[in-house]
Amino acid sequence: MRFLLRRLGFYAVAAWVSLTVNFYLPRLMPGDPASAIFARFQGKLRPEEIDSLRKAYGLSDAPLLEQYGTYLKSLSRGEFGISINFFPAPVTTVISTGFMWTILLAGLATVISFFLGNVLGIIGAWRRNGILDSVAPPLLTFIGAFPYFFLAMIALYFLAFQAGWFPLRHAYSDALSVNWGSLTFIKSVVSHMILPAGCIVLASIGGWMLGMRNTMVGILSEDYITMAQAKGLSQKRIMFSYAARNALLPNVTSFGMALGFVLSGSLLTEIIFAYPGLGYLLLQAVRNLDYPLMQGLFLMITFAVLGANLLVDILYVWLDPRTRR
Amino acid sequence: MKLRFPALMMLVIIFISMLAACGDASTLTPQATQGQSTTAPAATATEAPATGSTDATAEPTAAATTDTGSTSSDGKVFLTVSDQQQSTWVRNFNPFASDNRWPTAAGIYEPMFIYNIATGKIEPWLATEWAWNSDNTELTFTIRDGVKWSDGEAFSSKDVAYTLNLMKDNEKLQGNGRAAMRFIDTVTADGNKVVVKFKEVSTIALYDIGHQMIVPEHIWSKIADPVTFTNETPIATGPFTEIIRFQDQIWELGKNPNYWQAGKPYIDGIRQPAYPSNDAANLATINGENDLASNFIPDVEKTYVAKDPENNHYWFPPVNAPVMLLLNTTKAPFNDPNVRKAISMGFDRQQITEIATYSYNSPSDATGLPESFADWKNPEAVAAGDWVKFDVEKANAMLDAAGLTRGPDGIRVLPDGKPMTYDINVVSGWTDWVTTDEIIAESLKEIGINATTRTYDFSAWFDKVQKGEFDMSIGWSNNAPTPLQFYRGLMSGETADTPIGEANGDNWHRYGNPKVDELYSQFVKTSDPAEQKKIMNEIQMIFVQEAPAIPIMPNIYWGEYNTKRFTNFPNEENPYVLLSSFAQPDRLILLTNIKPK
Repeated sequence: MRFLLRRLGFYAVAAWVSLTVNFYLPRLMPGDPASAIFARFQGKLRPEEIDSLRKAYGLSDAPLLEQYGTYLKSLSRGEFGISINFFPAPVTTVISTGFMWTILLAGLATVISFFLGNVLGIIGAWRRNGILDSVAPPLLTFIGAFPYFFLAMIALYFLAFQAGWFPLRHAYSDALSVNWGSLTFIKSVVSHMILPAGCIVLASIGGWMLGMRNTMVGILSEDYITMAQAKGLSQKRIMFSYAARNALLPNVTSFGMALGFVLSGSLLTEIIFAYPGLGYLLLQAVRNLDYPLMQGLFLMITFAVLGANLLVDILYVWLDPRTRR
Repeated sequence: MKLRFPALMMLVIIFISMLAACGDASTLTPQATQGQSTTAPAATATEAPATGSTDATAEPTAAATTDTGSTSSDGKVFLTVSDQQQSTWVRNFNPFASDNRWPTAAGIYEPMFIYNIATGKIEPWLATEWAWNSDNTELTFTIRDGVKWSDGEAFSSKDVAYTLNLMKDNEKLQGNGRAAMRFIDTVTADGNKVVVKFKEVSTIALYDIGHQMIVPEHIWSKIADPVTFTNETPIATGPFTEIIRFQDQIWELGKNPNYWQAGKPYIDGIRQPAYPSNDAANLATINGENDLASNFIPDVEKTYVAKDPENNHYWFPPVNAPVMLLLNTTKAPFNDPNVRKAISMGFDRQQITEIATYSYNSPSDATGLPESFADWKNPEAVAAGDWVKFDVEKANAMLDAAGLTRGPDGIRVLPDGKPMTYDINVVSGWTDWVTTDEIIAESLKEIGINATTRTYDFSAWFDKVQKGEFDMSIGWSNNAPTPLQFYRGLMSGETADTPIGEANGDNWHRYGNPKVDELYSQFVKTSDPAEQKKIMNEIQMIFVQEAPAIPIMPNIYWGEYNTKRFTNFPNEENPYVLLSSFAQPDRLILLTNIKPK
């Protein structure tokens, strides 16, 4: 229990640091949001209108420290403010349009990648120098070296545009309405997800496999495995309950961290596949200096990563009895 | 962890080098500078070769999964439009907000009249006529009879007066009428007339007021705060008012049951899928999924028209205000008109239009006015403006005469000994601008100026340019129904004195001329077209003599259309209105004229 409490304290500090960075970092960028909006119209808006924009957005000239105080106060009340780029929609409304799709895409892709990667790693180590063991790790590491969006562009061009096997964009067919009870809709969601999720899985699976395989190899030479073999336990039991359970520990730790990378990587993949997630929102927020939206999105991402790590910590306690005290 | 970290670093390095590569290969992945630019890594698909097998409708999967044809489930004919790059839609139809969905100002709400950029004519819309009193202090609009709001209530002059007063009283509300508000004293409705009284005469305010979207008093008077109201179910007078469905990645807008133009619109509605980048939108357009798009497509003949010559068409009229080369006139030697003219003669506009914009447009003349202002153009000023002709010899002679002698390395030196070494600022990713910038920088070496292309991220570039913190920069210019705003934005004394470091809405190069200010106040005090034309002739002459900023080429209104399902689109033969969504509210004319096949 003390272990978990200590972790919780650590997360609280991490959350505060990220809140502060979220506040200051965007404001270090040159320019101001009203000019950015004004500029979007390229000479179509009159200079008179820029003052009107500034007033409507409620942009403040108060010292940064004072603004920081207001920001913390409104956050504690759960208020994220009004997006500047999507004015007058509140940040929460803007984020909610894409939140579900990003979580679905990134979450599912990470879980699939983690599961597949580890199983491949286990089998690879078990049948060391077999075909799987000699071909998969270098190949997957090679593919993993490509950025997600690069794989995504190639997949989009050849598999969706040229071959026409997959839809070109969006999370479901435009002809359908969102209805999770309908089989047609779910089928459509799955067919739209294969390419983007596939790209993320392909790009991230190599690390999992390699990590798992190498730890497995070390553990398989431990005495207690030999002991288990001598006892005549079933091969399956030795492989999964004896070796894999222990070898999994380092990978579980990195799972929490990977979620953050996958989330940021999937943002680019989303833009390529015109997936209605948060990726383009973030790009727009940064480009237009939309401070409230940037804060909201970064906060969401950091909290997602922190939350995932907390879950991992709890899982760890369950997986590894040595951490229980 | 040990293993993952180097792998991660590698990923980052590859990522960065990829981005850098994308930046270098700029000509292969162009993005439009007009209203929609993307910094997303460009998909290779936009330069898809025309390899036969890509007709989407012929492929079962593509056809089945991207069923975005014209007909919806109930057999209605919807026009699919690519506009406003977004990954997800936020439901906002507030005409006073900056981020509303585009039909808000071009299909849902309507103005009193429309200045049609393509024809240069004013088309009466919710008002049938308008007139100034003898001393131009009162403007009277006559409101059209028989117009109804989409909820069946009658539209009247009271709604117009309400809208204008609402804007006047709340300066947080944005809209075309905003610029006119500071001149207005009162707005009153009287029968079918609306009378606008001015406290300061400004006849160009006519266009601002005439273009303001009119909202219904019986709805908006009950809204607590019109600034933050998202107006999810609009009640309006336009041809399309009914939100049929609104989903994160697509939304549909249907006909107004009570539209005042009998029989119009001919189409049942508009369908708007979400495309988060130019590339995604172009992919769909090339695939024949969009009936109407206003995106920049590189090498459009090959990438788009060649795929289906019968149905795929484009019309790129170069009639928008020009792209400018701005020289900071607060700094020597750019305060000397002869130096500005010499620089202008130092590069070849023909070459720029051929390379940077695939010959989609042609060079500007010295007045800077695009063809849409042909009626305003002063032929004498055009003839006097020899400084837009590429003439290295003459440019060199003029720079020599200005006392800028060449140093030993061939670079000219200022009287104080500083070499003429400058950056030309430009927005990274706006490839037509970057290419233009590169051509200019390269050419200026011939006349002894060591210029370098310097790309900045958009907000950084804009921050520098509006604060006057630059030597040379590429920039845009103002576009309005009269050329006045264009010239005012380039040589108004009012904005010329803004100190460096403080932001200016326009006149970034900070050139001022008291003669122009005088002519400006004469112009806005008269409502006589002949008188205005005379004044405009003089302003043009001053611009040509002074060269306060250097026009390069007009901007283009991009527009592509597919005639598989719809007809009666405007084009070069029938230029009744612009295709581009950047021309608002012109789109009302377009949307009420497109017909299903």
